This record gives sequence, structure tokens and C-alpha cells, in this order.
Amino acid sequence: MNAIEIRNLSKNFGEKQAVNGLNMTVPMGAIYGFIGENGSGKSTTEKMICGLIHPSGGQIKLFGKDHTDADVRAKVGVLIETPGCFQNYSVWNNLMLQAANLSIQNAETEVRKVLKTVRMEGAASNKYKNCSLGMKQRIGIAMALLGDPTLLVLDEPINGLDADGMRIMREVLVDITKNYGCTVVVSSHILGELEKIATHYGIIRGGRMIKEMTAEELETSCRTYVALQTRDMSRTKALLACKYSRVEEDESGYIRVYDAESPEGIVTYLYENGILVSEIKTAKIGLEEYYIDLMKEKEGR
Amino acid sequence: MERKFERNDFGKRLKSMLKVDFRRMFTMPLLYIVVGVCLVIPILILVMTTMMDGTVSVNPQTGVETVIEGFDNVWQTIGSVSGAAMSMDLTGMCNINMLYFFIAVLVGLFVAEDFRSGYSKNLFTVRAKKTDYVISKTLVGFVGGALMLLAFFIGAMLGGAIAGVSFELGEVGVAQIAACMLSKLCLVAVFVPIYLAVSVAAKQKAWLSIVGSLCVGMLLFTMIPMLTPLDSGIMNVVLCLAGGAMFSVGLGAVSDLILRKTSLV
Repeated sequence: MNAIEIRNLSKNFGEKQAVNGLNMTVPMGAIYGFIGENGSGKSTTEKMICGLIHPSGGQIKLFGKDHTDADVRAKVGVLIETPGCFQNYSVWNNLMLQAANLSIQNAETEVRKVLKTVRMEGAASNKYKNCSLGMKQRIGIAMALLGDPTLLVLDEPINGLDADGMRIMREVLVDITKNYGCTVVVSSHILGELEKIATHYGIIRGGRMIKEMTAEELETSCRTYVALQTRDMSRTKALLACKYSRVEEDESGYIRVYDAESPEGIVTYLYENGILVSEIKTAKIGLEEYYIDLMKEKEGR
Repeated sequence: MERKFERNDFGKRLKSMLKVDFRRMFTMPLLYIVVGVCLVIPILILVMTTMMDGTVSVNPQTGVETVIEGFDNVWQTIGSVSGAAMSMDLTGMCNINMLYFFIAVLVGLFVAEDFRSGYSKNLFTVRAKKTDYVISKTLVGFVGGALMLLAFFIGAMLGGAIAGVSFELGEVGVAQIAACMLSKLCLVAVFVPIYLAVSVAAKQKAWLSIVGSLCVGMLLFTMIPMLTPLDSGIMNVVLCLAGGAMFSVGLGAVSDLILRKTSLV
């Protein structure tokens, strides 16, 4: 049984179709990276999963039951955009309030446990409004973790965080899947970070799911390329472009050749044309590049 | 493998919702502000009307003289007996019925805070059924209103003592005062569901919820003297109780429908 099964989901806001016949399958226990550009319908889909907005059509099933089932929904934790906390309450009081909302028996013990999970034990007495963005996002996750959820829906939890904040958040997310055993749907623009934790991916564009795959499938789909540097980069690029169909220069000053049979072939070819290679390496494209490639492909570029 | 989910019955859900809402209400400074205002208003009315008692006002255009009469009995402020001052517009407007406006502020801000803070996302994600939210908010508004009513009553007693206005029951009986207070309490149950329906429709827009509630409230406000005649009796209590029950159930269903059919973020 899957944690989430969405079939033909749609949502219209007046004339605008935010989600258009979306299909999505999230297996139980997965960390599902939900990827898409701004306005692609990620947040709308997540809000529909959580019952916060109503679909115009289609079906959402959570653990085999309709998403409006009260018993299933009581086990969903959510962090959408910002955490739902009262500004003037302390972190502790906000969490205790959510614990009361969920009828948790040993509320204090549970709150301490989730605070420890999100590395916030020392900040329990801080007023929520005085917390930094990174702390607020972690408080949001702590809120979502209360009540031992079976499904966590996190919308952009790493956005706006500094490098340290991202690292802590990544550790927290990995801990959650290890210790809580719940299914996590996490959307983010920071694909490099997502790549480190996700076990499954869903790529959405224009309200439609254009690709769903596992981390293993992504690994095999990601093409190998040869990156090199020479003294005469512009001539090198022109020469390589005559022989290979896809040659690009990246931000770090390397020329990338995507369809080369081997690095040796490139070195020989350039040597024969009077160019000496100063540095050469092979690498695989990451999720970010895969995503960009896929988007270009869909745009027909 | 099928996953088993614990059954959350209505009673359990309502209990937890009430726990959250009452905890929130009693930690809100707003509650103490509006209760304080309800305490102060009758004191000011009684002290100020005593100061104005016998003052002659002359209309400069017509030359007509009006003698301003103050309250001559504490019970007039809570509307259980008629008196000369009750016919005056100003004091008529500043009597106990003012508290229905403060209930609008309390309910409007309380509901708006759920949506503005984003707490509604946590709340409605785990609460697929909205009935417990509506019942809980209605009860919270009712208890808040009851506290304001009590504060008004205490304020009237204190104001009377300060201003030296008579506490003589005269033609008023204790039963009449009790019936008047009970009628007003039952009327809280009429107003709260109206304010709640407006507030859940307005969501995070507190201003819209308060303005909307006050507009609807103002319409009913003008009808209050008809609904609760000044010669309070048991029939009045029964009518207010029936009205309260009807409004709570009817408009509660409307609020529930609004929450089920509209976007919650």
C-alpha cells in the first residue's frame, strides 16, 4: 500500500488551472522530493493533500483511505510555508498547545522528545517571535512531528536557511525517517540538498507530474560528462563543438562534453589539433542539472 | 500491509479542541481588556449621569429646554426596570447591550488569529471534521460573553456604590433582575454564532470580521429592546433561550459549511 496515491487531481482558481490532472504515488517510508518551479502547483498539491484547500477534481488517497478521513488526517504532520505558531507564545507553549490539540497523553515528554529531534532543547523558553528563521523552521517541524505522524508534508523547509541551518535541517530530516519511520513529502528549490536525503522524486510542471522516479533511477538516468580545461578555451570549445553534439562551458570555467565516448578520445583529438589539455575529469550530472535538462526538453529547447 | 489508525471519536476531538481554545482564551490579553471595559462602562455611566442629573440643556434654535435626568436606580443600567434615563439615546446605547459589540471583537480577533498565525494549517490538517472547531469556538465566545456580562453586573454594583445611586429594589424583584441577566446571557448565544459565521468567512482578515460582525450586530442591536423588553420576565428568558439554540445550531451549520467548502489557508 502506498502512503499517498493521487489520481487525476485538478485545482482551478477562477480561470487559472493550478493543478491539472496530476498523478502522484508516494510509497510508504519514502522521503519524496517534490520538485518544480515557482507556480508549478507544488504547494497547491500539498495543501490539497492536507485538506487545506479543496480539489476541483480527482482523488487523493492516504494509506488507502480518502484524504478526508478524520482518523488518517489526525496522523498527518505539516509544515507549509511558515510554521503555524503564535508569535507571543514561547516555543514550549506553542508545542504544548499543539499537543493538546492532538490529545497527546504525555505531552511534556513528547514535546521534549520532538525538541531534541530538531536540536532545539535549549530554546524552549524563547518567545517564538524572537527565534531566527532557521529555528522557526525547526519549530515548525517539531510541531509537525507531535502525535507520532505517519505522514509529514514539508513545503520548502530549507528555503532561506544559511549553510549551517541547511546542514542541521538535513540531519533532522534524516533522523526523522530513521527514528519516526514516517513517510515524508518535502518540496524544495534547493535540489543539491534534496538530493542528499530523498529516496524518491516527483517533478511537476504546469500542474502536471512530468516524471516520478526513485533515487536509483535518477542515478542511472544522470549522464556522465567529461569536464576539461585548456589554455585556449574558446578554440577548444569551437573544436569540440565540431565533433560532439553537446558542449557547454560551466560556471566554474570547465568545458563540459556530454556525449564523449572517453576522456582519452578527447585528449587525443585536441592534441591532434594542437591543444594541450591542462585538466580533465569525468563526473555525473546531479539532480539540479537533470532537472534543468528535463525542463529544457519539455520546453522543446 | 494495511495501516491501522486509532479511532478519534467526536467526544475526544471536541475535548481536545475545547482544551486548546480555553487555554488560548484565558492567556489572551484581549479577554481581560474587554472584560475590564465591561466592568468600567457601567461605573462611568452611573457616575457621569449622576453628575449630569438636573442639568438643563437649551436648544439654541428652538429655545426648548431639556432637563437631563440621571439614573435613579442601579438596576436601570442592566435594563431590568424602565426609568426616565432609559429613554435617553446616549444612555440607552451605553447600557448593558454594549457588551455584544465587545463579544464581536473577541470572537473576530480570536478566529482571525488562528488563520493569521498559520495555526489553522496545523489545526485543520489534523481535523478533517470542522464541527468540533465550530462548537468549541461558539462555547468559548459564550463563556467570554458570560464573563463580560458578569463584569458588567459587578461594574453596575460598584458604579452604583460610587455614585450613590439607589440599590432599592422598589418595583423590581430579584427574579426580574435574574431573568434580565439570563435573557442577556441567552442572547450571547444568539450573537456568538453570527460573529463566528462572519469570522470564519473573513478568515485572517480581522478588520473584515469585526466590521462585518458589528454591521450584523448593529441590525440586531436595534431589535434588542423588542427581543428583551425592559420588564424582564421568564417568557423573555424562554424566548432568548430558544433564539440562542436556533441561532447556535443553524449558524453553526453555516460556519461548518463555510469551513468545509472554502480554502483554509
